Amino acid sequence: MKKSIFLKILVIFLAVAFLAGFSTIAVAKKIKVGGLNDTTGATSDVGKDYAIGMAEAFKYINSQGGVNGKKIKYVWFDYGYRIPEAITKYKLLKRLGNIAIMGWGTGDTEALSPTVNKDKIPYVSASYSAHLTDPKKTPYNLFFSSDYSTNARSAITAWFDKKWPKHKDFGKRKPRFACVYMFASPYGSAPIKAIKDQAKLLGFEIGPDQDVSLFAIDTKSQVMALKPFKPDLLWHGNTTMSVAATVRDAYALGLGTDWIINNWGFDENLPRLAGKAAEGVMGATPCAFFGQNYKNMDLVVSSAQLYNPGVPVGKRLIRTVQAWGDALVLWEAMKRADKKGVDLTKKGCGPAIMKEGFETMRNFDIGLGAAPISFTATDHRPATGCLIQEWKGGKFQTVEAVDLKKRWPKLWATKWLGW
Amino acid sequence: MKKKLVLMTVLIFGLSVALISCVTTPVKPTNKNFIAPKVTLAGFEVPQYDGYWYFSSKVKPTKGKAGNRGSMLPLSFLFNVQNENPYPILLNGMIFTVVFDKEFSLVTYNNQDEYWIPAGKTDQIRATTLITARSALLSLLVTGGFKLKAKGWSPWKALETWWKGVPDGTTPINITECSFSFEADGVSKIYPYEIQAQ
Repeated sequence: MKKSIFLKILVIFLAVAFLAGFSTIAVAKKIKVGGLNDTTGATSDVGKDYAIGMAEAFKYINSQGGVNGKKIKYVWFDYGYRIPEAITKYKLLKRLGNIAIMGWGTGDTEALSPTVNKDKIPYVSASYSAHLTDPKKTPYNLFFSSDYSTNARSAITAWFDKKWPKHKDFGKRKPRFACVYMFASPYGSAPIKAIKDQAKLLGFEIGPDQDVSLFAIDTKSQVMALKPFKPDLLWHGNTTMSVAATVRDAYALGLGTDWIINNWGFDENLPRLAGKAAEGVMGATPCAFFGQNYKNMDLVVSSAQLYNPGVPVGKRLIRTVQAWGDALVLWEAMKRADKKGVDLTKKGCGPAIMKEGFETMRNFDIGLGAAPISFTATDHRPATGCLIQEWKGGKFQTVEAVDLKKRWPKLWATKWLGW
Repeated sequence: MKKKLVLMTVLIFGLSVALISCVTTPVKPTNKNFIAPKVTLAGFEVPQYDGYWYFSSKVKPTKGKAGNRGSMLPLSFLFNVQNENPYPILLNGMIFTVVFDKEFSLVTYNNQDEYWIPAGKTDQIRATTLITARSALLSLLVTGGFKLKAKGWSPWKALETWWKGVPDGTTPINITECSFSFEADGVSKIYPYEIQAQ
């Protein structure tokens, strides 16, 4: 009898203790999303702003209730742009139960792609390499932006449409074109085949490529090597610092060429670093610059102020906006999948996020000056063209919004996927 | 017997409620009453020093694979986080950039671990960063290349100076672009801080 009373009391006591004591720390399961960023390595000139922008985007998303009321736990690491470290950190993020990963560079994203396919984890990267857009090969790789090859094809097309007709030699000869990039960089080399293909399509004469390191601050030898070819147009495929160095040296040495730049080399820091030499430089802008007047930009700017008050707003870049682009597209995919009953707190939900989330998007508008986004089970090119802008008169101005699919529908559909 | 059981249950329940009420915060956190915690640096140290060295990938190592590798330089910062609020607060994130010689950003540190700081108490939080002469070289070249050029410094000279000057206390170190995130019962606050480490 005594034992029975004791047990009853114990049960009541434990129940009270549990209800009162632990109820305040009872936590709903969160959706785990991981991140790999470069805040200390070879691309930290653009990677730091992206990393903090991504964290801000997830804080904003949680402030809006997360994914249909379920909060996201976003954990990210700096991997210093080192592929072995990216692989190690990816494995850690997987072990921690992350159901999607926000990745960074082309080298590591492409290196991780077979593992990502095997693990079936949606991998939303800051690498926009076209090699990641064919679901037959890379079914779990995604990003919000036009891919590098689309950027490159759009940029050379915009120059051909808008600048070449104003040239004194227009109609007299072929325009001369060459590429400048770091040969050993997977990011730099990713769109080279495509842009040369586009150059041939448009009737350019193609000159010799120049190898410029991502760390270059002196590129005079490469500029001098280009002089005999007398290029009318050069593509630069690096990030901002070495792009600025090359543009400056070309200006100082009187190369007299126009520039088109891939998106990671074309940002608010370019005119700060290149000065007068940046005048007229054109670049691929898959989304608006930080603070430009576009839908949802107010959220980006206010979140930057709220969540990172230590970083002056004047120092923020388009990289933050790009981070938001990837975060918003994942958010939408997760919301759609969740509504279809997919449990996003459980490992192994990747295929369902793809099928019920990403691959249901058709012309989805995230704002931020980005093109409408579509993913299908057979085509992961998010956008069919790119807005090309130039730095002119102290501000970024539109040159042309090129839509490759509209212009070359057959080539777009049958030839250009995946490279 | 039943009476005894009821009495004991009521007694235990009452005691539990009384105990819980003792530990429950009397003041509810709000956006208005939240006092910004004071964050100061309690100490800075290089927890493990391996000198300054660098091997390029052309140099064959005694063991293992060749590669571009440099000595590590861990930097350990001990922060005092003083909670002047009459309720406990949760520190759930910190981010900052370490700057050498006042203008060269070498590493951005981010941590989302969670620490509860009791009401009216000061907690100590340690943040340790790790850079190597290799990672610092790459970061320096892309973020500080033009600044080095303007000063007439070579990146190698800068690295050697810092790798010797940081543990000696002769290289100025600043913590910039720093913010700490706090939470208390649904109220979230993020505050910026600027701290000179040495």
